[in-house]
Amino acid sequence: VGTVPVAEGKSVQQTVELLARRLEALGAEKQGTFGVDCETYHTAATLGTQGQTGKLMYVMHNSEYPLSCFALFENGPCLVADANFDTLMVKLKGFFQNAKANKIESRGTRYQYCDFLVKLGTVTMGPSARGISVEVEYCPCVIANDCWNLLMEFMQSFMGSHTPGIPSVFGSKHDSTYSPGDTMVQYMELFNKIRKQQQVPVAGIR
Amino acid sequence: MADGALSPGVNLEAFSQAIAAIQALRSSVTRVFDCLKDGMRNKETLEGREKGFVAAFQESLHSVSRDLGELERLSNLVGKPSENHPLHNSGLLSLDPVQDKTPLYSQLLQAYKWSNKLQYHAGLASGLLNQQSLKRSANQMGVSAKRRPKAQPTTLVLPPQYVDDVISRIDRMFPEMSIQLSRPNGTSAMLLVTLGKVLKVIVVMRSLFIDRTIVKGYSENVYTEDGKLDIWSKSNYQVFQKVTDHATTALLHYQLPQMPDVVVRSFMTWLRSYIKLFQAPCQRCGKFLQDGLPPTWRDFRTLEAFHDTCRQ
Ligand SMILES: [Zn+2]
Repeated sequence: VGTVPVAEGKSVQQTVELLARRLEALGAEKQGTFGVDCETYHTAATLGTQGQTGKLMYVMHNSEYPLSCFALFENGPCLVADANFDTLMVKLKGFFQNAKANKIESRGTRYQYCDFLVKLGTVTMGPSARGISVEVEYCPCVIANDCWNLLMEFMQSFMGSHTPGIPSVFGSKHDSTYSPGDTMVQYMELFNKIRKQQQVPVAGIR
Repeated sequence: MADGALSPGVNLEAFSQAIAAIQALRSSVTRVFDCLKDGMRNKETLEGREKGFVAAFQESLHSVSRDLGELERLSNLVGKPSENHPLHNSGLLSLDPVQDKTPLYSQLLQAYKWSNKLQYHAGLASGLLNQQSLKRSANQMGVSAKRRPKAQPTTLVLPPQYVDDVISRIDRMFPEMSIQLSRPNGTSAMLLVTLGKVLKVIVVMRSLFIDRTIVKGYSENVYTEDGKLDIWSKSNYQVFQKVTDHATTALLHYQLPQMPDVVVRSFMTWLRSYIKLFQAPCQRCGKFLQDGLPPTWRDFRTLEAFHDTCRQ
């Protein structure tokens, strides 16, 4: 996942449309929609030791994996659970508090071009559009590092100079198989970046 | 059926006389044995008995040799059956009145023409193929050609043990490639080749000849629901469909009927170059992608990566 900065004087909406037009010019076909959302939980104060700030946990969903629910800690492990993990979180209210205002999500269109899957999304937090996410996946390849150059070339073809650098998850992966969790980690990092920046950037995944 | 009017070489009268002569010969021979069987019976004196027996025996032997002589004479008169017919005995088929109902004779002629043509074209093809022998392993060829100057062409019936040996030797040759051999349908082997974490290849063998290959992604399922290797369905990804096409081309390129083991080894060496399928840029245009596909072609000789449209 990467982000594309919105050009001055243009809205998020206009930039998304521009990217979509470039993808379609390449020959990419629309294939429905997608959505990724992320809720933030604080560990309840009672659990945290005195003076230590509570850890943050992110609970995320991805429409690509409707039966799964991802729980991530910043820099920490990524847990993949069944979708009814949400009900469990409700029961754990005493320990984890949902920071409702921090809910952030990205929704948009799925495109297919040959064996590539592109998900172009608008990142919204509350009522406002905060940025753009671009997820690019090369499905035939299971080792992310192997096809990075290939992905770069593809992203350059429609994102131009805004092509993102190599995501940090790639560095730690070496030759192991890419998993859905890796995608979610990238979305989490992207969402955190967008939250901090306040201003409208645009984002990209493997 | 096939005599008389249509075969002037046969003398009908002599023919029927000859048959009669054969009957005469048989009856005279029978009389000889009857005489021997009866022995010296019904005579008063021993001398009389011996005399009578010898006379009877002599007489019957004479009639045998007389009948035999007659038969030989007649057989020369009968003449030979229509040996000058251009199609020999099959020509007789055309004379069969049944032929009006069954198209046997015309079918026979058709088949003969076809087999002639086939032989001609096969001759041409074999000439061409011999010029185009396995280029890449030319050195190895020289060596093994000396070792086995004339391998028998019946390589279709190699023992399974030998096939196993060749495959396991290739398996050991390439550490990043694993080959699983199975024989679900009798003697023909099926291989599942896994190349790194890039792709899987199903190879259907007939003895040591590769009949069919299907390339699929590393993450794709290669088994059918009942747990057998799925040799029919193709990959879901365009890139592996393309590689499957190229692999089929490679099968046609690597041909050396006398040394099937060299062919299999060359094919596997070529296949191994796909370990960098997603990492190698095209050697001609320097790019990774063309029409959304990586360089799927590997040169048969140099193993360099090219896009399908950038090759040669
Ligand atoms: Zn090229």
